[in-house]
Amino acid sequence: MLIRTPSSWELPESAVTPEALYRQRSRRDFLRTLGLGAAALTLGSRSVLAATAGFPDQQNPAYNGTGLKPTPYNLVTSYNNFYEFGLNKDDPKDNANRGWNTDAWTLELAGLVRSPQKIDVNALVRQLGLEQRVYRHRCVEAWSMVVPWDGFPLAKLIALADPLPTAKYVKFTTFYDPSAAVGQRSNSLDWPYVEGLRLDEAMHPLAFIATGIYGKPLPNQNGAPLRLVVPWKYGFKGIKSIVKIELTKREPRNTWNVMAPSEYGFYANVNPTVDHPRWSQASERIIGGGIFSGRQPTLMFNGYEKEVAPLYKDLNLRVNF
Amino acid sequence: MTAFARLLRSKTFVWIVLILPGLWPAWPLFVRQDSSALADPLKFILHHLGFVACLLLVTVLTFSPLRVLFPRSPVVQALNRHRRLVGVSAFVYAALHFTTHLLYEGGAHPANLPGIFRNVLDKPFQLTGLIALTILLLLAVTSLHAAVRWLGGRRWKNLHRLAYVAAALIAYHQAAARKIFPVQVLWIFIPLVVLELLRLWKTHRPRPAPAAARP
Repeated sequence: MLIRTPSSWELPESAVTPEALYRQRSRRDFLRTLGLGAAALTLGSRSVLAATAGFPDQQNPAYNGTGLKPTPYNLVTSYNNFYEFGLNKDDPKDNANRGWNTDAWTLELAGLVRSPQKIDVNALVRQLGLEQRVYRHRCVEAWSMVVPWDGFPLAKLIALADPLPTAKYVKFTTFYDPSAAVGQRSNSLDWPYVEGLRLDEAMHPLAFIATGIYGKPLPNQNGAPLRLVVPWKYGFKGIKSIVKIELTKREPRNTWNVMAPSEYGFYANVNPTVDHPRWSQASERIIGGGIFSGRQPTLMFNGYEKEVAPLYKDLNLRVNF
Repeated sequence: MTAFARLLRSKTFVWIVLILPGLWPAWPLFVRQDSSALADPLKFILHHLGFVACLLLVTVLTFSPLRVLFPRSPVVQALNRHRRLVGVSAFVYAALHFTTHLLYEGGAHPANLPGIFRNVLDKPFQLTGLIALTILLLLAVTSLHAAVRWLGGRRWKNLHRLAYVAAALIAYHQAAARKIFPVQVLWIFIPLVVLELLRLWKTHRPRPAPAAARP
């Protein structure tokens, strides 16, 4: 295409993750060998120890997104909806990298659980390990990307907290810090951003917590140090920079649903047959496709129908959009 | 000021000022290779063309109130020489914006056109845009001298007051296209509203009674 300049980071699809070197020497081994303090001293970089600096242990072959062409790294990290840092797609890259520090980060697990806890995100990554998955990413604004995420299944994280039988939903909350997040100084949305999943959705093997992309730390604009990835739902469900995960009995509200209930539902499953009042959801623009790429048809549940359709067999998707 | 007014009187200068915004997307796309613009270049162009069309329509609508408020200003007089040119260029940018929309939605496949138009009718923010474009088309066509003669001055003037309707529709179109109300709509339209209110105030204020009427 006339405007794209291929760069060194534009790896072929086959090269996205399985870099033999990293596979042989996993991040865990790396840390074990060097020892944490030694690593910090030797490499002299704080970010090496940050959870987001983890190299993928290995690509999970069950989720390697056969036939998907990953969106170039520079586009994934420059075209972001992260209203905490501005309303335009290029705002977060600027505004989230002006002194907002995500290196030290504590995640709280709370609510209807047997072991409520506060975990340092570095410790969490060491405990759960990392894997890479190539997922489709479909925004409610009818554009899509393919992202190689590094992280761990959400189910593993929830299992740490040990939910009580009364827990039916999971509520996620992001940070609230208007001094660092310029967007939180206005009332464009009801801050802090919150999201929710049904517990069975959260425990689904596809539901994922990402701490990196392309084997690199999650950039601030993509929701460092950890964010939710639910590939069969619209992108706004993928809450960024999570500080709290709570198990609840009742369905939690989610920020966009509070903002405009007629436009954004709780479920937000990708569904080409149910239009948004502003956009048709039947097809999508491919980010990085260039001027004449046209659109591609949107797939039911964003192409994950086989895996997730059973979750919704008793649900009217037109009403519960 | 007079030097600037002289420059503004020049048709060539105004043509250049009107064409440059259309070329602007080449800068981020080809020269700076800005990633966020390259992510979906067509969307970038689509929004840019709509933005320029909207700015030009609002600009040309300020010419009349400015003339009422500052009748002796050489700059305002110079601007009012270009009403038709600026107005028609607002239409041209709006038409390019709509063409880009067709390409954006349909990817240049004529088979997709019926679906695109069905969507336009279905989505209020798109429909208001299309109605505004239709108004601008009507005004652009009747901007020819022959049309003025054919319609007669009064009818022509009334017809061209539809430009205000188009502006209102576009304010809605722009605001409703976003998930969150875009503040730029206020920046663009409030100056126009203020100027129109000042014009109303000036044309309708009570005049001082003539001296002869005093007892």
